[in-house]
Amino acid sequence: MYFRIIRNDISKSKLITLTTMIFVAVAAMLVSLSAILVVNLSGSIDTLMKQAKTPHFMQMHSGDINTVRLSDFAEQYSNVDEFQVLEFLNVDGAQIVIDGNSLVDNVQDNGFSTQSGKFDYLLDLDGNVINVSDGEIYVPVGYMKDGTAQVGDKVVIDGKKFTVAGFLRDSQMNSLLASSKRFLVSENDYAAIKGFGNTEYLIEFRLKDLSEIGAFETAYTSAGLEANGPTITYPLFKMLNAISDGLMIAVILLISALVVAIAFMCIRFTLLAKIEEDYREIGVMKAIGLRVSDIKKIYLAKYAVIAAAGCTLGFALSFVFRGMLLENIRLYMGGSENSSFALIFGIIGILFVFLAIIAYVSKVLKRFRKISAAEAIRFGTSQEKSAGAKHFCLSGNRLLNTNIFLGIKDVLARKSLYATMLAVLVISTFIIIIPQNLYNTISSKSFITYMGIGSSDMRIDIQQTDNISKKAVEIVKTLERDNSISKYAVLTTKTFKAKKEHGLEEGIKIELGDHSIFPVEYSEGRAPVKEDEIALSAINADELGKKVGDVITLVIEGKEKNLTVSGTYSDITNGGKTAKAVFSDNSADIMWSVIYAELSDKSLVGGKTSEYSDRFNFAKISGIDEYITQTFGSTISSVGKASYAAIVVALIITLLVTLLFMKMLVAKDRYSIAVMKSLGFTNSDITLQYVSRSVFVLIVGIVLGTLLANTLGEVLASAVISSFGASSFKFVVNPLSAYLLCLLMMICSVLIATIIGTSSAGQIKTSENLKE
Amino acid sequence: MKKIIIGDNIVKSFGVDNEKHNVLDGVSVEINEGEFVSVMGPSGSGKSTLMYAMSGMDGIDGGKVSFDGRDLSALSEKELADIRRTKMSFVFQQPTLLKNLNILDNIILPSLRDNRKSAAKITEKARALMKKVGITELEKRDITQVSGGQLQRAGICRALISNPKIIFGDEPTGALNSKSAQEIMDIFSEINADGNAVMLVTHDAKVAARTERIMFMRDGKIVSELKLPKFDGMDMDGRVEKVTVEMRKMGI
Repeated sequence: MYFRIIRNDISKSKLITLTTMIFVAVAAMLVSLSAILVVNLSGSIDTLMKQAKTPHFMQMHSGDINTVRLSDFAEQYSNVDEFQVLEFLNVDGAQIVIDGNSLVDNVQDNGFSTQSGKFDYLLDLDGNVINVSDGEIYVPVGYMKDGTAQVGDKVVIDGKKFTVAGFLRDSQMNSLLASSKRFLVSENDYAAIKGFGNTEYLIEFRLKDLSEIGAFETAYTSAGLEANGPTITYPLFKMLNAISDGLMIAVILLISALVVAIAFMCIRFTLLAKIEEDYREIGVMKAIGLRVSDIKKIYLAKYAVIAAAGCTLGFALSFVFRGMLLENIRLYMGGSENSSFALIFGIIGILFVFLAIIAYVSKVLKRFRKISAAEAIRFGTSQEKSAGAKHFCLSGNRLLNTNIFLGIKDVLARKSLYATMLAVLVISTFIIIIPQNLYNTISSKSFITYMGIGSSDMRIDIQQTDNISKKAVEIVKTLERDNSISKYAVLTTKTFKAKKEHGLEEGIKIELGDHSIFPVEYSEGRAPVKEDEIALSAINADELGKKVGDVITLVIEGKEKNLTVSGTYSDITNGGKTAKAVFSDNSADIMWSVIYAELSDKSLVGGKTSEYSDRFNFAKISGIDEYITQTFGSTISSVGKASYAAIVVALIITLLVTLLFMKMLVAKDRYSIAVMKSLGFTNSDITLQYVSRSVFVLIVGIVLGTLLANTLGEVLASAVISSFGASSFKFVVNPLSAYLLCLLMMICSVLIATIIGTSSAGQIKTSENLKE
Repeated sequence: MKKIIIGDNIVKSFGVDNEKHNVLDGVSVEINEGEFVSVMGPSGSGKSTLMYAMSGMDGIDGGKVSFDGRDLSALSEKELADIRRTKMSFVFQQPTLLKNLNILDNIILPSLRDNRKSAAKITEKARALMKKVGITELEKRDITQVSGGQLQRAGICRALISNPKIIFGDEPTGALNSKSAQEIMDIFSEINADGNAVMLVTHDAKVAARTERIMFMRDGKIVSELKLPKFDGMDMDGRVEKVTVEMRKMGI
């Protein structure tokens, strides 16, 4: 019997059934996709890091190195499992020519390595340790993705020719957020080009117990070992690998949660309208003695069928799309060992959606208990009372067109009915605006100030060279004379010893200079301005256990110097552990200098960048836009894709839900429509009334959605962004696209949907609905 | 006397192709300006269908209906709506007032569509009509807060607001008790006395007896017509008797 009832019911309301099913399918698909992606991403990262045997602790170091002292330390420290020192030959991008094009515009520190002996292997795209022959070169996989190199391309370095034999995955430096990239060459070739660049050392350790990493770090620092360069630990490697795709998954999860919510609302009002339609039958069923649970079963069965069909379809669809979304993960990190788990998690996610729908329908159907059989049979409809807007009278209306007035009045009088549509529109606005704002924010120039980089036009890096201070002065002199430079700042990074509890000391890299010229965004406090102030990066503040206002003690040439923490900021550069201060110091060696400059005419950035590059070939000079593109490029593009997808999804949702809602409304209001027509209102009058209703609800929805997006949404997006290390931030809004364009697109969808949805109002025959 | 509606050989059928059933089987009717007519007949005889066909509310399958000299079947949906709004109006058995509006708003609604600027004047007129039918105190009430008789009076006020040439009533007293029904008929008589034509469809001999011409229908045809002098408040029983005799004669 159920089968027959369900079949009849579905064939009578094809559009509604289909729409509900589509929503369920999309919700199920997104939930299943995010489950699959999460499992795959974490699995792929784990697999990659396991296959490559990623170091647990890595200290980059340039300058002299005492390997004997380092191996002694490794032997003495019982937790060290393995230890090695790798060489990394840093070569200027301009000197690396791939297929005729140099990497001069590339902001990464490109360099060469040989395959490692013990761990930290460079892997090919099948996950195997690469065995490179003479004359061959393996290129970082990122350059395959962006089309810089292809297998078979010729690479020329220092006049020596190589052939690209393949691409490599580097568990340390895969991510664009890691600033260095390793090319792999054979031992012989490495020896041949060694004199061509600066050698940097990667001092690497693997520990027996990874959880002791903190203690090991402290021990390494207090031992006073080589530390002229960033220090990176296993968890940071993991995070760097996870960020880009992690962000995409976060966006998908956010959207899937919203779509599930919309699917619920969709079900709610189709169900309520159905109950309204069947009011008399329900009353009759109750009157002849059927139990509420029996009546519920009939309705529940239909939704169980829709939910099951939708979930199955969603699961199938997730298979179609997952390949596309997994592409990036697969390319950078390879397959996952637990892909079968992914399937199981996908199925669990889908089952969860199914059960949630059944539970929800069951909850909505509880209102059967409230239906009085006698009332239902007599009146055939629920005796809803018109509520609200009593003072909004037609007789007092001089301003609005009568049809518009009637539309608005109806919304105000039946608020609870329109609440569902309002909620859908609020959510749609939310879905459109949040990813857009997120995209605008991370692609805006100022976003890097959340990342520990000042917002300027041009960035000049002087590192891995001698006489850094002299070279900096040379550049400064040129900048001084250059009329097109409006301001600049020289920031010099040096390592100092900071005193920790129990008399331990830890190396801390401090960037000295005027931090007020190109300020970064401080999550707490402000930039250091006085000699005795210091600002710490979030990770450093966390590790040192310092808050704003605390005092930190440095040991400079044996003397203690107390500095007050003036602020904390987020940073992803140099392993996230940095500090900023203004005091002058002549004691410690300069590790590197960065000069930021701003141009009075922004259009000159490109020209200036190449001019300075030609002139100062010891420095790495990049336009900041380029720097952003290359550092966050893939992240920005995945968020960008997600934001466009979100707009499409939101518009489809708006269109379908409005259409559905209007069809319901017309069915519910048949009688009033017939009355209106008998009074001489034309079909276009009636359409105008419905358009006024939906536009009125839409405007309220957009206002609420925008407010919500800029408050709650910002908090949510902050949570996503904080995975970068940025702890607090404000949206950068592009009002033209975020508000005007979205508004227009939503109004168009709502109008189209309303006009199509209410077209059936024209067919309502007055005589049939009013005849006695 | 000028005719406002001329229905010529009207055919209206329901059902599918080969099982068509003519609800109106070649009916011809004329209604004069200011005339008070009624249509009687058993259920299913086609009397309501005739009213809807003559008012242009329903399309027809044969014949022709002219309203005020214009062929209704040649008019667009908009032109028909215009006529309904300005030249004719309806009173139904169930008071068809809109739930969201109060009594006053319901009454002024049809007239306000075109003349929003003169809303004050229209409201004034509505108040006068409400006073005439005795519901002045109800203007701000919700339609759920008044009785069926009061709703029907409001419905009549709404029908009169745009000064129509003719008012159609489909069993306007059908849902009322006899006292209310009598009061409503008094109002219809008054409206007619003011010069508006009225066409009522009814089962009730007492209602029909108020009118000056009664058409009797059976099986989609007008089978008989009874003319009475204009009702002057006298000899109601005699008029009802004449109607019932005619009904019996026709087997209704």
